[in-house]
Amino acid sequence: MAAPQRAEPALDAPPPTRDVGQALRDIANYGLAIVPGVLAGDALKRTREALYRAAESDAARARSQKFGLDYAHDDTNRRVWNVLSRDPLFEDLAFHPLAVEFVKGVLGWPALLGNISANITYPGGGEMVTHADQIFVPEPWPAQPQGLNVAWCLDDFTEENGATQFVPGSHRLNRAPGADDAGARLVAMEAPAGSAVVFESRVWHRTGHNRSAGRSRAGVFAWYTRPIYRTQENWFLSLRPEVRQFASEEALVLLGYKTQGLGLVNGASPA
Amino acid sequence: MDGSGPQNANDQLAADGWCVVPDVLSPSESAFALERLWAAADESERVGMPTFLPVLDPNASNVRVFYLLERDALFRELIQHPAAIAMVRQAIGPDFMISNFTANIARPGSRSMALHSDQSLVGPEPWLAPWAVNIIWCLTNVHRDNGATLFIPGSHRWRTRDDVPPNADKRLVPFEAKAGSIVVMDGRVWHTSGANVTKDEDRALLFGFYTLPFLRPQVNWNACLSPETQASLGPQMHDWLGLGVTANTGMATNLGYLEPS
Repeated sequence: MAAPQRAEPALDAPPPTRDVGQALRDIANYGLAIVPGVLAGDALKRTREALYRAAESDAARARSQKFGLDYAHDDTNRRVWNVLSRDPLFEDLAFHPLAVEFVKGVLGWPALLGNISANITYPGGGEMVTHADQIFVPEPWPAQPQGLNVAWCLDDFTEENGATQFVPGSHRLNRAPGADDAGARLVAMEAPAGSAVVFESRVWHRTGHNRSAGRSRAGVFAWYTRPIYRTQENWFLSLRPEVRQFASEEALVLLGYKTQGLGLVNGASPA
Repeated sequence: MDGSGPQNANDQLAADGWCVVPDVLSPSESAFALERLWAAADESERVGMPTFLPVLDPNASNVRVFYLLERDALFRELIQHPAAIAMVRQAIGPDFMISNFTANIARPGSRSMALHSDQSLVGPEPWLAPWAVNIIWCLTNVHRDNGATLFIPGSHRWRTRDDVPPNADKRLVPFEAKAGSIVVMDGRVWHTSGANVTKDEDRALLFGFYTLPFLRPQVNWNACLSPETQASLGPQMHDWLGLGVTANTGMATNLGYLEPS
């Protein structure tokens, strides 16, 4: 059996682009794209405030949950799960027309929202195990990505404050990283607040190390999959009812309320 | 006996993609289950859920009953019967979900549906390993003339649509089994329902469909099982039906091997 293929030659991060066609090509070539200036002004400010408020509320009530991919010894990463149920501002992210355009362009339609959660790194910690998001799919993987992550930068993402680190081009290996891949070259995905970093499910990545003196770094990660996969979040158990009540047709598809063939109730779509 | 079935059944499952485990139910247990099935069909019609689906079947002689788990405690027992669970684990491994549990009664005059494998309908190519398995409960004797499921032996080795030969339907053979048997069918096996050409003989089958736990179930159990039914089920069944909050993050807790020591 041949030795596993390595991620060579090493690529740098793709330059930021506002052009969706270019961004889709970047996802094909690098595994990711950086789209700056999607959130701006008041929307960015209020979304950021809503996230920090939710994180502080969880911490004050001892409701914070650790994640299996964070190191057990590290308590500086703060996770906020199911932000969709915390504030309508996060509906604007999960169902943002640009995010849906990328989902349709990379995964096709229909697709599902598997989860939307936040990760805030604080000074002194935040590293995570290098992984690909579709590790639940048995290998060998199908030829196409099975999921897509849209990471919303609510603070500037810098190398120093723990920007997500990627191995650009690693999606073309079409396999999860293993013990022999510790030397793979990770590139910090630097992006100004308000950017969306869009990455497909096979590209290797991890949370960066926040070694700044006093800057936290908040990101909201919206995870989408092809419709055959079970969602990470059980929306039928946890979704705030108004989200469904006021959802668009597109949002109902992404949440599994409008469906065909799978996820049925009484032989038909739940909504 | 956890995690495997009778040796000859396991061997046949590996070689042909299907096998029969006989005598899981006694004749009287099968007859009782058939009675309960007709009661469930009546109840489905009573609450406004049709038992004929034109999209699946060419005529109304096929009686389909959905949501067996909601209809009767007997079906909640069968879906977790130790003999069935042993074969599920043999086919797809220790961790799985219950995706669906339905019945198809082929009455005289019912005809075949289209050739397919369950995995090819939703799973991306290549199909190298089973992501799903059907446990088929035979509540009547099942043979060619009364509409036995027709399958293609060895078709679980077909990896892509290109592997499906143009004359695939010529290779179809019926599985035959006595009432009280379960038939185990790898999700990759190409099959279709048979035609019931008898004058007066029903063929009643229950289809328990189980998948690997990262796949979306065919039924949204949270939304379709009544609060009373959910409350009647233990933690194991809550897990197998995906009723809880664990969802598709279970594997993320098992990645310690990636951490540097």
